[in-house]
Amino acid sequence: MTSIDLALAGISIGAIAALSGIGLLVTYRTNGVLNLAQGGIATLVAYVFREMVVEWDLPIWLAAVIALGILSPGIGLLLERLVFRPLARRRASAAESLVASLGVLVLTLGMTAGIWGLGSRSDAPSIFPNESVTIFGDTRIGVDALAELAMVVAFCIVLGLIAAKTKFGRQIRAVVDDRQLAELSGVPADRVAAAGWALGTTMAGLTGILLAPRFQLNPYGLTLLVLETFAVVVAARLSSMPVAVLTALGIAVLQSELKQFTLEGDAGQILIVLQSNLFIFALLVLLLVVPKLRELGNGDSGSTGSFSSRGAPPAGPVSRHDARRDILGKLGGAALLLAPLTFAPADLRSAFMVPALALIFLSLVILTGYSGQLSLGVAGYAGLGALLTLKLANGDLFGIPAIPGMWAMFLGALLVAPIGLITGWPAIRRRGLTLALTTFAVGAVVSRFVFEQPTFATGLYVDPLTFFGSELTDEAFYIFELVCLAVGLLVVRNLHHGRLGRALLAVRDHTEGAAAVGVDVRNLKLLAFTVSSVVAGLGGGLLTFSSSSFAADDFAPLQSLLWFTAVIVFGADSAAGAIIAAAFIVTIDVLAPAGSSILAVGILALALGWMPGGLASAVRAGFALVARTLADEFVPAPQPTRHASARLAAGGAAGHVPGVPGAGGGAALGELRIVLPPGAPAPTAFGAALLSAVAAHAARTGLSLDALPSARTAADDSTDGRELVGHRPHLPGYPVERGAS
Amino acid sequence: MSRDDLRARGLVRRYGGLTAVEHVDMDVPSGQVTGLIGPNGAGKSTLFSLLTGVEQPDEGRVHLGRRDITKMRPDARSRRGLVQTFQVPSLFPSLTVADNLLVAAENRRRDYAGGLLGMGSRGRGNALGVVEEVLGSLGLEDIRGTVAGTLPTGALRLVEFARALCARPDVLLLDEPASGLDAAETEKLSVLVRRIADDGVAILLVDHDVDLVFRVVDRVYAMVGGRVVAEGAPETVRDDPTVRSVYLAQGPLTSQATTSLGPGVAAAGSPAAGSQAMSSAGR
Repeated sequence: MTSIDLALAGISIGAIAALSGIGLLVTYRTNGVLNLAQGGIATLVAYVFREMVVEWDLPIWLAAVIALGILSPGIGLLLERLVFRPLARRRASAAESLVASLGVLVLTLGMTAGIWGLGSRSDAPSIFPNESVTIFGDTRIGVDALAELAMVVAFCIVLGLIAAKTKFGRQIRAVVDDRQLAELSGVPADRVAAAGWALGTTMAGLTGILLAPRFQLNPYGLTLLVLETFAVVVAARLSSMPVAVLTALGIAVLQSELKQFTLEGDAGQILIVLQSNLFIFALLVLLLVVPKLRELGNGDSGSTGSFSSRGAPPAGPVSRHDARRDILGKLGGAALLLAPLTFAPADLRSAFMVPALALIFLSLVILTGYSGQLSLGVAGYAGLGALLTLKLANGDLFGIPAIPGMWAMFLGALLVAPIGLITGWPAIRRRGLTLALTTFAVGAVVSRFVFEQPTFATGLYVDPLTFFGSELTDEAFYIFELVCLAVGLLVVRNLHHGRLGRALLAVRDHTEGAAAVGVDVRNLKLLAFTVSSVVAGLGGGLLTFSSSSFAADDFAPLQSLLWFTAVIVFGADSAAGAIIAAAFIVTIDVLAPAGSSILAVGILALALGWMPGGLASAVRAGFALVARTLADEFVPAPQPTRHASARLAAGGAAGHVPGVPGAGGGAALGELRIVLPPGAPAPTAFGAALLSAVAAHAARTGLSLDALPSARTAADDSTDGRELVGHRPHLPGYPVERGAS
Repeated sequence: MSRDDLRARGLVRRYGGLTAVEHVDMDVPSGQVTGLIGPNGAGKSTLFSLLTGVEQPDEGRVHLGRRDITKMRPDARSRRGLVQTFQVPSLFPSLTVADNLLVAAENRRRDYAGGLLGMGSRGRGNALGVVEEVLGSLGLEDIRGTVAGTLPTGALRLVEFARALCARPDVLLLDEPASGLDAAETEKLSVLVRRIADDGVAILLVDHDVDLVFRVVDRVYAMVGGRVVAEGAPETVRDDPTVRSVYLAQGPLTSQATTSLGPGVAAAGSPAAGSQAMSSAGR
């Protein structure tokens, strides 16, 4: 094949990538949400399209109309209405929107896997006839490529005209600039946002249908393929559509052109990988080169404080933290973890995964929950830990003689540290979307260039672990896993306590503020990155030994997204949440058909809108609520406790704060004291119930309830206090007000 | 004990074709309150970020005491004693008030690795002592255990101020500390600023509230268009013809007019996303 032929072959892929990029940009420019779910939606639509054509024997044109005219935009409208509009209403941070779109990704992935299984299908129908036309001489180009190019050009022109010339275009810009201001000026913001979503998901569906016949139809594979087109929008710095299109075509043609070269040795290996993975490579390079994406909204997008499931770590006498320890919870957790030792052998082996996965989740707790950095590449570190462990155990690394498996595991995990340190470097100055995409790209590149390469990942033997010469029984191996988990928990505990814990939380809560008082932000972020990668590496090593094989799929890039979502769902800064999440996923995977755990995590992720602190905070609040109800029930005269009270104030202006002379900006409406267990959190998930309690108490004490429509509580002297604004709808009889401030 | 002062020489910062700060010299001496005023777009904020290290100057040097800190990052400057507060209060919303202060008090050391291994409460008592002292002197004992994210704006300002003090500053840079405060709170603030300066701290006060600045400072710089157009005692600068012409164009130098001078009100009113709880006392 000549260069021209190769270029023409590449154009088709380039055009599809461009369409995907256009979809991403449209959604982003109208909603401020980078739709990570693009891949999942594309895959779902592609599967439905195939189902209609292959199984139901519908004509292709009809199936295409249904898939692209009804299903795809329908998904977009549904997502906008049910998931993203509520988030926009309460001005959720970019990080929250990111997690919501991850939730949608995981959900669509789970649906696809749940309905059609995880296997590959090669009978995806093509919209366009498999013909080609002669351009000149012997050079021919496929009809599909021409049609795809025509679509790209048409979309660019139409969208460009809409944006530049029409009233709707002006409205889009107004909504993107400030949604609430736009609404106040009479712009139908919801309609603009909905249109953006509908168009975005339609492009996603189109991408999926066009890509499927070129590759195998496979939930993970196709989803990842679409995610790789993020390179295109990164090159466009999330704003310029022409740049996105040209980049898409450029990368695709270049990737195709690479096919005419062959090289000897290692360079040849790399070239072969590049020939099919140029997009993911370009994504990483572009993210490292492009200094700053034009992220919408104000620069808080890196803050993950909103996923916090509780407040500060105890700080000794100063914060008068009462030494209450949830011993019950700890005993329960320990019992849960020890229970598998009594299981039948097969069940015990299934439980092997739990401590391993829990360690990987703990690494995310360290990074996201404690230091506030998003990471979508944890599978990369886990896989590297596993690979290095096996290499050490097999005596295959730099000529080091074989090391007993147990020590190889610890050493292998420690060897991940320098890699974590180096890859953590770009993270120092990056935040939010940029950081999320960078870590994702790192994980994907490691997966493609290391885990899937025969050079690195073949001939690895997983010998059973030995202890002083004797092979570990299943029980002993499980206990060894628990010991590893305990080490991980100890590290997490130390990271969350004392000066180090406070400094990390300060960085998470307000990076500039932390720097302003001397917290060494750079080194703390690097420390978190490094420690987190080691913990993930240890988890990866255990995971490999518990399944007795190294499989690249176990550490695929999409696993990172799934795991990250699971950790957020179960409480990003809760170590117990990490363990429960691991147990949850493993249990569902064992009991239910493949893909069910993905589906479950996806559903829970979408419920995050109602419980921002994750399940951990919801559960804590649940206990608090039960305790309070019991207290109300059995203690005859509810006395205001020393440690908890709630205050009501009107108009968003908080009431006076005792002891701060002159503080307080608005009319205090009087204080209500309600009984809460000391230090009980009042997270939003149970805000409605709490508000009802406030209302009931107010009725008893004869206080005016006028305050309630904009009531907020401040939990005085407790370890936590959360805003209840936004949950008024649950309180019967009170008008729903919109938005903050 | 002599404390370090802050000196800037020949600072230049350009954004593309626009020169935001043009050859500015500035002294912030110990034990004095230095003011910086100027209309919108005069380059105050840019100069401020050059001093705190958030941005790097294209030309010029910044000295803290005898040390050249031009290339240092903000956190390194802070550990050397140059501490700032923000236009929008920047507390750590999930930490209690006391813990907010403790973070500042204990981060002059950087050895975090000890904490990872479960060691390292060295010097803890000292930091706690500082926190207790500051809590006491600002009358914040009663809210020490309150989670910062639930405080109203007035209290936030005070706590941020307290946090800055806990970092034991030699030089304190205050960026519009009075924005969002009512008259009584502003008055309290000016007394506080004076008291801290009398302890030997060098203070730079940037504010739109010209009345506040003129009431508190020993010396004032007036910037227009990136340049310092007048400097000296408040009376001198107030009567300076250039300064008068700039401010007269927008109304006389009275407290009634100051609100029209800048976005001080807007800064407090617009909720900073992600810290909604912190800007609760907006409207």
